[in-house]
Amino acid sequence: MQKKYKILIIDDSEEILKTYKKFFNKKKYLVSTASNGLDGLKILQTEQNDFDLIITDIVMPNISGVGIISIVKKKFPNILVIAITGWGEHPELLASEAEADLVLEKPIDLMELEKRMVNLIQSKTDQHL
Amino acid sequence: MQNGPPIIGVSPAIERIRDLINHVADTGLNIVISGETGVGKEVIAQNLYQKSPRRGKPFVKVNCAALPEGLLESELYGYERGAFTGAEQKRKGKFELANGGVLFLDEIGDMPILLQSKLLHVLQSGEFAPLGSEKEFKTDTWLIAATNHDLEDEIKKQKFREDLYYRLNIIKFYIPPLRERIEDIPHLINYYIEMYTSQYNNRSILQPNSRILQKLSDYHWPGNVRELQNVLKRVLVLGTWDEIIGELDYNSNRSTNTVSHEPNQAKTPQFTPQSLFFENGRAPSLESFSLKEIKKTALDKIEKEAIAYVLEKTGWNRSRASKILKISYKTLLYKISDLGIQPPLT
Repeated sequence: MQKKYKILIIDDSEEILKTYKKFFNKKKYLVSTASNGLDGLKILQTEQNDFDLIITDIVMPNISGVGIISIVKKKFPNILVIAITGWGEHPELLASEAEADLVLEKPIDLMELEKRMVNLIQSKTDQHL
Repeated sequence: MQNGPPIIGVSPAIERIRDLINHVADTGLNIVISGETGVGKEVIAQNLYQKSPRRGKPFVKVNCAALPEGLLESELYGYERGAFTGAEQKRKGKFELANGGVLFLDEIGDMPILLQSKLLHVLQSGEFAPLGSEKEFKTDTWLIAATNHDLEDEIKKQKFREDLYYRLNIIKFYIPPLRERIEDIPHLINYYIEMYTSQYNNRSILQPNSRILQKLSDYHWPGNVRELQNVLKRVLVLGTWDEIIGELDYNSNRSTNTVSHEPNQAKTPQFTPQSLFFENGRAPSLESFSLKEIKKTALDKIEKEAIAYVLEKTGWNRSRASKILKISYKTLLYKISDLGIQPPLT
């Protein structure tokens, strides 16, 4: 059986968090959520390098998604990060500069997102074999 | 100042700010600190700096609102000898002076749009060129910006570049106004009383009693912590609270800042071109269209609304209203009758 992947989702919309959580729980992922960058960072610090992947919104209170990507890539370089950008927002370039592993634009197709997540995680594991 | 000036307060907002500082001070990521004037934005910047690995390196502050465009540019980037008339010697800019440390750009919302482009370029490339120089220099500065403007609003008005906004806003701090965290007031008072007492030859200052404290909590503090500091200094000099509190302008409390929290208050005056010169919603005919007339009508309407508004707020206390409007009592009475302002039917 496939190993259960552990993911952290950061988004300032409770609605979106709920939707993601429901979807990924059904798909048997271990899901943690945070509604802003600071809370997300705290979860990362307490659970250390335990996450396989982070999905983060870009425009958020306190620490933005770009901030999260930069911090994660420096302090937890093993964790993959997918950045989600919203409508009418243009920080995609910043997300890529901060070395997000993937930048996707809203609206998000969850099936597609999961497929690309699995690809990312597996290609990383392959590199390590 | 080993750890920066202390951040005083027990409100959830202040606790959160301390927490955020501790989590991001070592990141070197661009930061924007926003909040009304006098809330202590520079205190936050100082704390970030003191807790960062850049502590001990330069902390350079530039107020973007204090200098005209040309001066601000040479202040930030410096110039070569002969860059412009009067540039007799090469001068280092703040970017160069802050190298390795922190550049604190206060009032970033007031930076002219042309300079915003140049700043964006520096942030993107990590390089800057002094005026009159053909060479670009590498810069390693941690940029912390502060503003009392709503930058998102400024973007909509095309006064602030959206791309610069995103590049600066990697981490954002918002400091709420003092009136929204009145639980911090007693702590701030204690802190400053202690500080000033030692500064002013141990002149003692009376701790406020609960009645005074209540009064201080009811006040809306448009100047925030800085205003509270000034009040405390005056109490120290005069030795009494009552007189100083008597001078605080409680009248303007609800008219400006607390609008959204007061459902039953008078309507704030609103002026649109239509309301100003269209009679009964119709534009005047072209024959009677006179700019002078429109000006007079518009001014009358504005005056009428403003005076009616203040009268309503003061419960038709004409003496207080005249003081707020800064016109004589006699002028006010004349305006009331001339403009046909009616007292409420009670």
